[in-house]
Amino acid sequence: MQVLTNLFARLRPNSVRTTAKDRMRSMLTYDRLELPAGRLECLEEELMAVVSRYFELDKSTTQFDLQQYDRRASLIANFPLLRSKC
Amino acid sequence: MSGRVIVITSGKGGVGKTTASANLGVALAGTGASVALVDMDIGLRNLDILMGLENRVVYNLVDVIEERCKLRQALVKDKRLPNLSLLPAAQTRDKSAVSADQMKELCKELSTIFEFVLVDSPAGIEQGFQNAVAGAHEAIVICTPEMSSVRDADRIIGLLEARKDEIEQYRLVVNRYRPNMVQANDMMSVEDVLEILSVELLGVVPEDEDIIVSTNKGEPVSGTDNCKSGLAFRNIARRLRGEDVPIMDFSSQNQSWINRIVNFFNPVRV
Repeated sequence: MQVLTNLFARLRPNSVRTTAKDRMRSMLTYDRLELPAGRLECLEEELMAVVSRYFELDKSTTQFDLQQYDRRASLIANFPLLRSKC
Repeated sequence: MSGRVIVITSGKGGVGKTTASANLGVALAGTGASVALVDMDIGLRNLDILMGLENRVVYNLVDVIEERCKLRQALVKDKRLPNLSLLPAAQTRDKSAVSADQMKELCKELSTIFEFVLVDSPAGIEQGFQNAVAGAHEAIVICTPEMSSVRDADRIIGLLEARKDEIEQYRLVVNRYRPNMVQANDMMSVEDVLEILSVELLGVVPEDEDIIVSTNKGEPVSGTDNCKSGLAFRNIARRLRGEDVPIMDFSSQNQSWINRIVNFFNPVRV
């Protein structure tokens, strides 16, 4: 039975292990930066407002999040542009 | 002589700091090194119990600092290993009884007598922790593969990073590891924890009921054969001495042959 459980566990995409790892990673990113919840969303809105003054954006495909490399966080922002507003 | 002062710390309580301290003390002494174990958990001392030395404690660390006795009078010799000594914590005082500077002095003095000075830190990040790291050159961070423990370990690593001038090296020990649960994807693996914390691994100790038995007997597992956690601690001691000991593969224990084949292709290393 344990064998089957283990075999299926490998195929299951959203295992408890992955959930724990993902939660852990995002929690520590916020912890290390001492970043309060909601602050990043606030920045995203402001940045988007600035960029929108210059370009028309494809708001459905924007990407905005923090990534960790070796205990350092980087801000990854991807704002697909449709056309210039000038 | 100038011995190595190594603090054993974790942030979170109950992850095995004291157990690791006792076992690494015994294991290092078993390799022939002279070792002092310092219990810094003032007010909540337990290292004496794990070592089975609770009946031999006369003086303690605070007595030494407040000059009620000489350092050598407070050191309790181990029952089996003559090159292993314990400096017990005071039980009736609290963390404010010593200062960081006093600890630095004490660690310096101990390192002139012993090759290894292992300081068992209390839980938390307050003064007790600050005192425990004050005199150390190296740190061993203990964590279990649980979220709360990993988070606290990360906080400790941040604090150790901030002391880079004093703490030259810190490494991680993953304790109470359960390869079966990792295999079933119900728990984070050693690799997951290392990836999240970005830290060097010193060793992995599997969850083991023998630890409870050994605590009850007052004989650390690293002093006995035929015990997987004891072997893991002895391996860590050898790595501390600079030997290149590979991380063992515990995953094939207590498993059927089919599982062994499955694990062959996806091993969990301990």
